[in-house]
Amino acid sequence: MDRLAVAAFFGYALTVLAGGLIAVLASSLVRALAGLILTLFGVAGLYLLLSSPFLAFMQILIYVGAVSVIIFFAIMLTRPPAGGEEGERRSLGRTLLALVGGLAPALLLALACWRYGSASNRVPPSVEVGRLGEVLLGPYVLAFELISLVLLVAMAGAVLLGFDRRREP
Amino acid sequence: MNALLDLYNHPAWTHPLQHPLAYYQAVALLLLGLGLFGLIWRKSLVGMLVGVELMLNGAGLSIVAGAQLTRADAAMGQLAALLVMGLAAAEATLVLAITLVVFRRFGHVEPDHASELRG
Repeated sequence: MDRLAVAAFFGYALTVLAGGLIAVLASSLVRALAGLILTLFGVAGLYLLLSSPFLAFMQILIYVGAVSVIIFFAIMLTRPPAGGEEGERRSLGRTLLALVGGLAPALLLALACWRYGSASNRVPPSVEVGRLGEVLLGPYVLAFELISLVLLVAMAGAVLLGFDRRREP
Repeated sequence: MNALLDLYNHPAWTHPLQHPLAYYQAVALLLLGLGLFGLIWRKSLVGMLVGVELMLNGAGLSIVAGAQLTRADAAMGQLAALLVMGLAAAEATLVLAITLVVFRRFGHVEPDHASELRG
């Protein structure tokens, strides 16, 4: 059983890595979106391994169901320039900057995590959904209300930005 | 040098089953690095949005792993990751709207060339 868990972990981690590489490096944005969806499924599998199935289903529902559709709308509503969206070559300096900017924070945090990380227990506890609801309406009630406010403001702002402003002659 | 030696002797290297938190954090940091790389490297706003989504996923995974595998309250960690998902949805909506406005005004979605003040 333990070996199965390790194999599943590395399988999901490989899925995340492959999807992330496609999402970042693909020259067509639709392919990048497909890579992102692969990564989202991999992270959902890791949530399942962490014995939080509710989060895994929410991940699939919110990210794969909603956010990727929004990104797909953004791809489809903007016309790509000739030769593909991201086809043109980058300068060497930009690639180097991206490599350093991406690697340096991750490596620093990894060093901190591995040196000063707290001891971890081997088996994650399982939490019932009912307890999640109690915590959401108990200690987290302010965050719960604030996130609904944030969503409302975001939707209103998106609608407002979407209006076509009539140009005065 | 000493830090490197400490790292080499770290118990996390032994087996993922003995110290699973470090492995989950490694995946989360991988997502962070990939997302930052995409954010800098991509030329269009939509490609940058994909990078930001990768980073937010790494954040959620790190929060859940930290809450489930230490003595912290597991329910609060899961709910924090749920709030991160809600924020990601709001952020994606706003970026979609901004992308549409930029596209309507400039005819493309490349932030490098979207400037009106250049003489």
